Amino acid sequence: MLKFISKAVLAGTVLLAAGAAEAADYPDKPIEVIVGFDAGGGTDVMARTVAPFIEKYLGDGASVVIKNVPGASGQIGVTQAANAAPDGYTLGTFNLPGMMARTIDRKSDYDLDSFTYLANVVNDPNVIVTSKASGLDTLDKLIAEAKANPGSVTVGMSSLGGDDHFALIKLQNLIGTEFTIVPFKGSAPARTALMGGHVAMGILNISEVAKFRDQLNVLGVALNKRSDFAPDLPTFKEQGLDLVNGAMRGFIAPAGLPDDAKSKLEMAFSKLKDDPDFLKAMKDTANPVEVVTGDDFKAMTKDIYDLAKKVWETTPWN
Amino acid sequence: MYSELLHALPEVLTFANFMAVIVGVVAGIVVGAMPGLSATMAISVLVPFTFGMSPLVALGLMAGIYNGAMYGGAIPAVLLRIPGTPAAVATTFDGYPMAQKGQGGFALQVAVVSSSIGGIASAIALMVLAPPLSRVTLLFGPSEVFWVAIFGLASIIFLLGGNPVKGLISACFGVFVSVIGSDPIFGNDRFTFGQLEMLDGINIVILLVGLYALPPVIDLLEVPLKTDGVNGSKLGTEPIWRALPRMKRFWKTWIRSSIIGIWIGILPGAGGSMAAFMSYNEARRASRTPDTWGNGEPEGVAAAETANNADTASALIPALTLGIPGTAVAAVMLGGLLIHGLQPGPMLFRENPDIVFGFMWQFLFGAILLVLLGGSLATNSFARLLNLPRPLLGSVIIVLMLIGVYSIHGRMFDVYLMLLFGAIGYVMDKLKFPLPPVVLGLILGGFAEENLRLALRIGRGDWSILFANVTSLVIVALTVAVIVGPMIKRLLSKDGKTAEGN
Repeated sequence: MLKFISKAVLAGTVLLAAGAAEAADYPDKPIEVIVGFDAGGGTDVMARTVAPFIEKYLGDGASVVIKNVPGASGQIGVTQAANAAPDGYTLGTFNLPGMMARTIDRKSDYDLDSFTYLANVVNDPNVIVTSKASGLDTLDKLIAEAKANPGSVTVGMSSLGGDDHFALIKLQNLIGTEFTIVPFKGSAPARTALMGGHVAMGILNISEVAKFRDQLNVLGVALNKRSDFAPDLPTFKEQGLDLVNGAMRGFIAPAGLPDDAKSKLEMAFSKLKDDPDFLKAMKDTANPVEVVTGDDFKAMTKDIYDLAKKVWETTPWN
Repeated sequence: MYSELLHALPEVLTFANFMAVIVGVVAGIVVGAMPGLSATMAISVLVPFTFGMSPLVALGLMAGIYNGAMYGGAIPAVLLRIPGTPAAVATTFDGYPMAQKGQGGFALQVAVVSSSIGGIASAIALMVLAPPLSRVTLLFGPSEVFWVAIFGLASIIFLLGGNPVKGLISACFGVFVSVIGSDPIFGNDRFTFGQLEMLDGINIVILLVGLYALPPVIDLLEVPLKTDGVNGSKLGTEPIWRALPRMKRFWKTWIRSSIIGIWIGILPGAGGSMAAFMSYNEARRASRTPDTWGNGEPEGVAAAETANNADTASALIPALTLGIPGTAVAAVMLGGLLIHGLQPGPMLFRENPDIVFGFMWQFLFGAILLVLLGGSLATNSFARLLNLPRPLLGSVIIVLMLIGVYSIHGRMFDVYLMLLFGAIGYVMDKLKFPLPPVVLGLILGGFAEENLRLALRIGRGDWSILFANVTSLVIVALTVAVIVGPMIKRLLSKDGKTAEGN
């Protein structure tokens, strides 16, 4: 028995030492990134586009492997990432506001503090569109109609508790009126319904309407400054409406990442925004880039969580 | 609108994409020829494996299998009076008597030529009808799609067969399964038992593999099949070019049965077996010698086989344009499209014209290849397939099913779920509950619920939105016709009988 214990202790010491050595020359084995969606989806494409650049900046033959764990709008994957060993070899993709909204509208096995926040990479801003049939071809006309007849404007969007929904709630608070929400299963059917004139207005993301500008009225983009994606499209701020909102996609690791791994990863992610090859690759895959790293990313997540919580308390969506 | 059709042609003719169709047709004939194994099953087992393939290779395989299996079912139907697929039941009526008279070879040649003609007609219908339909599908908002789903659910009435109560129970089970998962509007959990894996609902491919593939495979292992007596020499085969002139007189049946098959394919709910029965009956009614039917009339084989292939491509018309699959096979094929990130609906024709139109060409080539591969080369060898050891075959299929289902999302949960559905399917099979209503209930029930609720939100709770436009009203009228039509027909025939009695 004693012999066994001493062996176990010895083995433990060796493991600890190995762990320390491992951290010192991180990474010395492949890094796995858990993507909570099917291969080929928006988040998956982002992860696969980012991976080779992270390998490049980590240097020293680092390798990043994508693992798809789809299901429950990314819940299964992000839960797995939150509960993984915090050794820097398991990372996960992270979607906002979805991942935070799910901690509010259902029971989840993770929360705001379950993660080491590495970097947000994509900000796909919301746009407001109207159908050609609605005749509401300017923001002013839309707002006037919504104020004159509260609830008369039907809004197609993807599911409740997503970025589209939060953008609409912000809009309702800004102009002080009500819309009728029609939550489709995803933005593609919402867009089709808009093109057929079955709903009057839609809240989508800029990457989803870029190819459909001639069939829909795109009234503005919810950014602080114009998007490189469609530079001719005015922001809402330019039009006197302080509406900024979007879908964020980034990367997290489990909470308690060793400092060495954390700083190396943050350094690698922070270099992305100045890499012209990366920016081109992201533009080609319809991913508007906005890199926010470390504590700033965590603060951003906290803001979104607070907003979602406030909305939930006043107008729960289920 | 049709220029894109030509544009897609070179892509289809590349080596890999064309080979896929050839392999698919051969595999389809093999699967169809195995009693118990159906096109639905083969394609659902295949879908998870297509993930790594390019879309047209995957779709080419599916199109080939579908066409091949619809003919393959005729082989045991003619030689052993065992329909290889449900759609080949009507083929046994005259095919088997022909084989007994020593004309088995000719019966199979009639079957393959008719299958091919039906398939070609169906592919052309898809090519001609789908593109213009995809333009008007923007007219279909939530309330119209709701009515299409109701229309489909109503046409389950055709599938009920001998025991309507069992059929309705099956359909209700399907609708119940469609309710599992998160609520389509608010996202509340329904019947998920806290399992995150259930939140997205039941994946149709998992259900189909369990329900359609497992019971027949168990059957394959349970029932020994005596196949002595199947060998090439007894078939009385002559070269197909000598047989062809003797088929010229079937041209009217070919045309009539193609139209029936295409129409049945477009209707949601009905499938190949119903097309074959209807066309057999119509052809017999039109025949000048109805007495020879059932005693080895080759025209009967022609009617059944033309129709069960004529519904293949046309079943994809509502699937591709509206995203509403009318048959189980179409549902699995849509699953295959989704795996490749192709969302059915009007946008599909705009964003991926080469793939959609390529798929249509593959249906056409599959149908043409059928006569070359099935007719001239290998009818004899395919007939010998029936001598394959069935336990071996069954085990191989079970392994493929397990791997396939695991690879959809890479999780064991799905495998257990599939096995559960397999057990349910086995029991239903033994108790003679029909399976197609389950699938349609699952697909159409989900569509109906989601779109009804979206429509009511758009109408702000006012039910009149469901009747607010012409498109809706037309579909409502069709639905009423589907439900009331058979009742009136039955009443009238009763009256007729009593009148005769007097």
